[in-house]
Amino acid sequence: MVVYRPEPDRDSREWWERIARHEFAVQCCDACGTTRFPARAFCPACRTEAWHWQEVDPEGRVESWIVNHQPFMPGAREPYVVVMVRLAAVPGCVVYGNWHGRRPPEPGERVRASYSRIDESLSLVNWEPVDG
Amino acid sequence: MAKRLLDFRDATAIAGVGYTPFTRDSGVSTLTLACRAVLAALDDAGLTADDVDGLATHRVGDSAPPTLVGPALGLTDLSWHLDQFGGGSVSHAVVGQAALAVAAGLAETVVCYRAINARSEFRMGGTGRGVPASPEVQYQAPYGYVAPPQQYAMYARAHMLKYGTKAEHFGQLAVTQRANAAKNPRALMRTPITLDDYLASRWIAEPFRLLDCCLETDGACAVVVTTAERARSLHRPPVLISAAAWGGGTSHLSCEDPAVTAAAELAPRLYAQAGLGPGDVDVAEIYDCFTYSVIVQLEDYGFCAKGEGGPYVASGATALDGPLPVNTHGGFLSEGYVHGVNHIAEAVSQLRGDAGDRQVPGAEVALSTAQPGYILPATSALILRRA
Ligand SMILES: [Zn+2]
Repeated sequence: MVVYRPEPDRDSREWWERIARHEFAVQCCDACGTTRFPARAFCPACRTEAWHWQEVDPEGRVESWIVNHQPFMPGAREPYVVVMVRLAAVPGCVVYGNWHGRRPPEPGERVRASYSRIDESLSLVNWEPVDG
Repeated sequence: MAKRLLDFRDATAIAGVGYTPFTRDSGVSTLTLACRAVLAALDDAGLTADDVDGLATHRVGDSAPPTLVGPALGLTDLSWHLDQFGGGSVSHAVVGQAALAVAAGLAETVVCYRAINARSEFRMGGTGRGVPASPEVQYQAPYGYVAPPQQYAMYARAHMLKYGTKAEHFGQLAVTQRANAAKNPRALMRTPITLDDYLASRWIAEPFRLLDCCLETDGACAVVVTTAERARSLHRPPVLISAAAWGGGTSHLSCEDPAVTAAAELAPRLYAQAGLGPGDVDVAEIYDCFTYSVIVQLEDYGFCAKGEGGPYVASGATALDGPLPVNTHGGFLSEGYVHGVNHIAEAVSQLRGDAGDRQVPGAEVALSTAQPGYILPATSALILRRA
């Protein structure tokens, strides 16, 4: 059960399909090798359109987080934590997810993806500390 | 890239401002609010609807566009109009584009308005309507990350971690703006607050408390843009548009540093257009959807060093009697939320010298700014000058 089910678009559909298999991939430019996320047609570094999926370690560092007290998500266990994670594999990229640590996040700490399976076609990417 | 500037600086002016009352439930449509604010602004300028040949607004699908407001006021042949999609980040770009249209001769009198039932009909972000369909939403909404106070709280904590910005800094800003609102008969929230009141207000999304967040308001505000020459012949002291800039910004999902906004990229262009610098600004109306928004913009518009926005506010620098009075009307935090246009209108009042008890003596140059590019990745701003 997920309150806001993501609506994949024509750029992102395959990314979500891979996440459903717990496979973390980003786009990699065929011309210059720059990785990018979220899914887009063109490489922002060299404006080349040709690209391929590249599996990367779903790891990063905590850049910020919030503790939600207002009922922003109906039915959510409150207060719930959303973290901003700087993804190690993609330059200049931050991603968001719920915090799956047993303690609060710490600034700059290393985290890895913690998949939450919703159903056959959807998993969400949450984050847990690498060091317990 | 070198820009080829037309004779834009000070070629156009704001000749009038108009408001509806600010409430929590207007009881009327946004179309009605828009018409009332447009007519009020024209009346303030000493003009009538028959003088209007352009209308402009910004909206996110929540309000009446010029193609409704024009015919509703009997204007069936506007020579220019703009229906700008977007939130607060484009609020000042709308006036900038109206000024361009006037400077280019496409229109002579453009009324820029924003009408909003942000409390009773269309609340921003996740509560009260469906999640908007920007492609970035799919990576955020499933985690319950849906509303502007959450997004701003996230950036605010990044700033706190990097620069040591404190809750007390945010609190002092809220206290200062409420003191300004106490002197503003239009303001919704006029009872003074203390730092203890701020610290005791309930959590919304840590690190934000209730008093970090702006009001949700029903109301409308409008400004009349015309040529500087024409403005000189009208009722009110003209306020010249010395600079209008927009741009900057990345996105929710790509940024090198979440503690820097699009304003840092835009500010040098804005000041160069006006031939002025931050030291020339007498009063600043800075987009305050949240307390943090003001603190980071004070840095990015060059009023203090990067990272020093919190201590700058805590020093009293932004109070009415400080060196840089900020949000003299009380801002969105205390006057009301009209998505940027009430900041422009307040800057005009200050430069005309008709801001009453909250008047900054001798104000000649004002900066007014838009949402600094955290939600939609761009911002906009105006520098206005007393003629
Ligand atoms: Zn490339």
